[in-house]
Amino acid sequence: MGKASIDFAVGLNAYETVEEIVDKCLEAERLGLDYVWIGDSPPHLYCPSVAAAVASRTRKIRVGLGLLSPLLHTPDQILKGIISLTEAYGDRFEICLGVGDRSQLSRVGIDSKLVRGLDYVLKAKRKIARSLQASGVAIKIWLGAQGPRMLAASKSFDGVLMNYASPRMIKWAIDRAKSTARKNFDFGIYAPSYVYRKWRPKAYRLLRIASAVVALGAPATVLDEFGFSKRLHRAMEEHEAGLRIESVARNVPAEIVDNFSIYTSSSGLRSYLTELGDLGISHIVFGFPQNLSKITIRDLASVLPNH
Amino acid sequence: MKLDLGISSSSPLSVAIQFSKLAERGSLNCIWIGEDLNAQREIFTVAGIILLETSRVKVGVEVTSPLARNISTIARASATLSQIGRGRFRLGLDAARPNASMRDATTLLRRIWRGETVTFTSDNFRLGNYYARYKLGFATPIYFGVRDPELLALAGETADGVILSGPKRYIEKAVAIVEQGLRKRKRRGKSFRFVARVPTVVVDKKSDLKLAREAVATVLAETPKAVLEMVGITQEMVKPIKAMMAEKGVNEASRIVAEDLLQEVAIYGSPEEVAFDLRSLEKYGIDEAIFGSPYGREPAKAIREMAEAWGRLV
Repeated sequence: MGKASIDFAVGLNAYETVEEIVDKCLEAERLGLDYVWIGDSPPHLYCPSVAAAVASRTRKIRVGLGLLSPLLHTPDQILKGIISLTEAYGDRFEICLGVGDRSQLSRVGIDSKLVRGLDYVLKAKRKIARSLQASGVAIKIWLGAQGPRMLAASKSFDGVLMNYASPRMIKWAIDRAKSTARKNFDFGIYAPSYVYRKWRPKAYRLLRIASAVVALGAPATVLDEFGFSKRLHRAMEEHEAGLRIESVARNVPAEIVDNFSIYTSSSGLRSYLTELGDLGISHIVFGFPQNLSKITIRDLASVLPNH
Repeated sequence: MKLDLGISSSSPLSVAIQFSKLAERGSLNCIWIGEDLNAQREIFTVAGIILLETSRVKVGVEVTSPLARNISTIARASATLSQIGRGRFRLGLDAARPNASMRDATTLLRRIWRGETVTFTSDNFRLGNYYARYKLGFATPIYFGVRDPELLALAGETADGVILSGPKRYIEKAVAIVEQGLRKRKRRGKSFRFVARVPTVVVDKKSDLKLAREAVATVLAETPKAVLEMVGITQEMVKPIKAMMAEKGVNEASRIVAEDLLQEVAIYGSPEEVAFDLRSLEKYGIDEAIFGSPYGREPAKAIREMAEAWGRLV
């Protein structure tokens, strides 16, 4: 039941300089990756402008923008950004909508607890899709989802990018989204990743932090479902008390890293990809810290099938 | 004194890029991109594309509301463009109500760009322990595109420059108001820039004057009453034009633009005459003049000719 092929992407965090990001995207293109995803978050660079810089220097690699939060950008701004990019660089762009990191949103005055984030996202998707169609621009719109409600809402999108990495959690998530998903719907994952040829302690330390961020942001229903709530209790308390995430991550058990990230040696990646292919995954975004350097991107690309 | 080019986000990007390259080749100083809210283009994305397509000319957003986006988004969009342009980007902010919002926006942007952890609460802005994680380095100058006297003075007090638009005599008066604000500064550097935007048209033949009349009709319809009255343009003079604009559009409205209004509001003539008239704004204290829409019957040719005429004059 798995799909014939999987698209591979590397996710770039836009806190580096534009030049560094472009440099890594050029390397990703040279290595034959299918996509780069440019993240968007209040403390980072502005995703559409970074995407413009990437598209202007690369030739064919597809560029994903997001996760873009309609709580932070109006649907009109998201729409106009993507139309501007398409007009300048052609049909190479896709977007992923979602609520976004609640703690980062709260720092810029957006209390996502006070609004129904999912409603915002759905309204934005409808408006953007309608306007794109009217403009004659075809763009794939993904939903960034984790919890059961978001997963169920993915039926309104062209695909869902799930914040999971372990096959059992992915299967659970697909089961929640699948019953309502349309034909030609794409299931993808976007997870912290470290696929290594030579293990580097710095990359692993960063992977722990990235995994902790994802796990601590997961809905309680998900953590309960997989029995992680108790084991994350201390880390959650520290996180809520405002402790730096680097310190909090030290108290996150290794199984959180195993379940919330793609963490494997290069030789172990193939069987993992086969498993994901069998589950129906067609798009994998290898997130931070796989983008740490061009070397870590090369380590990944060297073991991807047909790359 | 420098010559700038004004373009709009309503232009197809291929045209905007063509004009920008002409401006750069013609050694113009800055390309100001006006935000047309009805256009299907996003101003910061367009500015990024123009910066990527050029290498020397400055590029400015003219102008965006500090309330249209989260202030952190304006900060990071500007920082991104400053990185892309290696210091060539300028941010234009337009009037926000209440006036204190302009001061707050300017202060917050600069604090974020200094790398401070910012906590601030007002009716319009709310930040809590917010700090930028992107690399900071290139300064982004902030220009106010305002007309209200109180905001003009505030521009002098807090901004890095001001974009003045309106009839020529208004420009003179506005400079004086901005100067009042400048005098309130503890340290007055020489870096503050006065930029003027007046409708400009290169006219090859008499029929081209229609373009100038259309531009004047549009400007008169959009310019606040207080600004027009500052230079003796009464509502009695403007009302018929506004009514005709609303009823039959700009084409018909342009037919009733009187000669004195045309001369008061627009700069038109041969490239040499337009360059000379723009240059004459220097006597009011203007540092940069924008050669903007509608340019002329053949815009690309007009831009090229203007750049050449300016080069000969300066």
